[in-house]
Amino acid sequence: MTNAAFNTEFEKIRPQLKSYVLRMTAGVQDSEDIVQDTWMKASQKLATFEGKSTLKTWIFAIASNLSLDLLRKKKRWPENVTDICRTEAYKDPANYQAMMQVVQTSPYAKFEIKEHIAFCFTCISKSLPLEQHLCLLLKEVYDFKIKEIAIILNTTTPLVKYHLHTARAKMIEIFDGRCAIINKKGVCHQCTEMNGFFNPKQNSQAELMKIKMVKVAQKADKQELLNLRMDVLKGLDPFSSGAHELELHNLEFNRKTIEKYLEKNQ
Amino acid sequence: MTNVSTMGKATTIKKTFSRETTIRQIIQSDASIIWSLLTNAADFARWNSTIISIEGDIELGKKIKLKSVLDPKRTFKLKIKTLISEQQLVWGDAMGNRTYTLQSTDNGQVLFEMTEKIGGLMFPLFASQIPSFDASFEQFASDLKQEAETIFNATA
Repeated sequence: MTNAAFNTEFEKIRPQLKSYVLRMTAGVQDSEDIVQDTWMKASQKLATFEGKSTLKTWIFAIASNLSLDLLRKKKRWPENVTDICRTEAYKDPANYQAMMQVVQTSPYAKFEIKEHIAFCFTCISKSLPLEQHLCLLLKEVYDFKIKEIAIILNTTTPLVKYHLHTARAKMIEIFDGRCAIINKKGVCHQCTEMNGFFNPKQNSQAELMKIKMVKVAQKADKQELLNLRMDVLKGLDPFSSGAHELELHNLEFNRKTIEKYLEKNQ
Repeated sequence: MTNVSTMGKATTIKKTFSRETTIRQIIQSDASIIWSLLTNAADFARWNSTIISIEGDIELGKKIKLKSVLDPKRTFKLKIKTLISEQQLVWGDAMGNRTYTLQSTDNGQVLFEMTEKIGGLMFPLFASQIPSFDASFEQFASDLKQEAETIFNATA
């Protein structure tokens, strides 16, 4: 493959890759850096690409390794990350001002419940063990096959199946216990709470019913609800969606808050 | 003497100073899946109905706190004594050891064996107060088989 052909292919893959790295690291700068380093490393090693997998799989493997190098040094996030960050956000007037500035000046900061569902998933999935987190994203959000994930993560297909199964079970348990939009006994109402704040004229209930996961919540089984939740992520690019500047601001706030929290609670 | 048990059926050998319960089960899965299930402490209670919780890491030399359905009020503090990846796990305390063994067979299955031997000089004094492990062992092996086979059979 020529460098020119590689660059063309890389640019096609770049948006998905960047979104994948962001959802792994929850760091905007980290995702920029890792994608750039991936391009550099892949360019340098292009001669070693034998075509045994697709170029996309090969590039995702490089990006995954770079991300793993970074993430293995860091602690995983707690399951109640959104509670911790909500409490801290209420105590932080500077963050409120910064967030409102984003809302008032950016055309990409119109709050939408579905974007917050994706944001929430990104935060909570960081509580999964690393291998489980990556398997879940690669399979359910980026549509890789189990064999391809085994190549990306340099592991075996049975272990990918194990990580995936366990990750799904854990995410179902967390959302079933927390998320009030799929379970009436859920304790977290953050998405509707924020919708009420940013879109006071909207009927949050009517907005919720536009989302398939919510619409079928009483009838669908838990596996299906998780699939529908991940469909919400699939349908959104965190770097170009309608509210991406607001959500990226909030993600940065959560990342910094949790990193401080983890440091303090070590 | 080898304790031969039929698949999925627990057997117990009682002696004056010890008691040993064993179960064997053929599992149509991969040893790495079964091993992962047996060594992920935090996830144990999700698939195993005989376990209430396991706290700690299943790593060689470390201690775990285990709560079992068989005696829910008690917390067993157990040390990980042997950990040979995808082959053997032993945890235990002064009273005895629980040994898990995996053996891949030629036809792509895994033979799972679980043995618990408890005993000691004082064993005869309290032997009658320790409940039978047979039903719990059978449930454990059945849960493990079901979970490991479900994972293995997941489609690509």
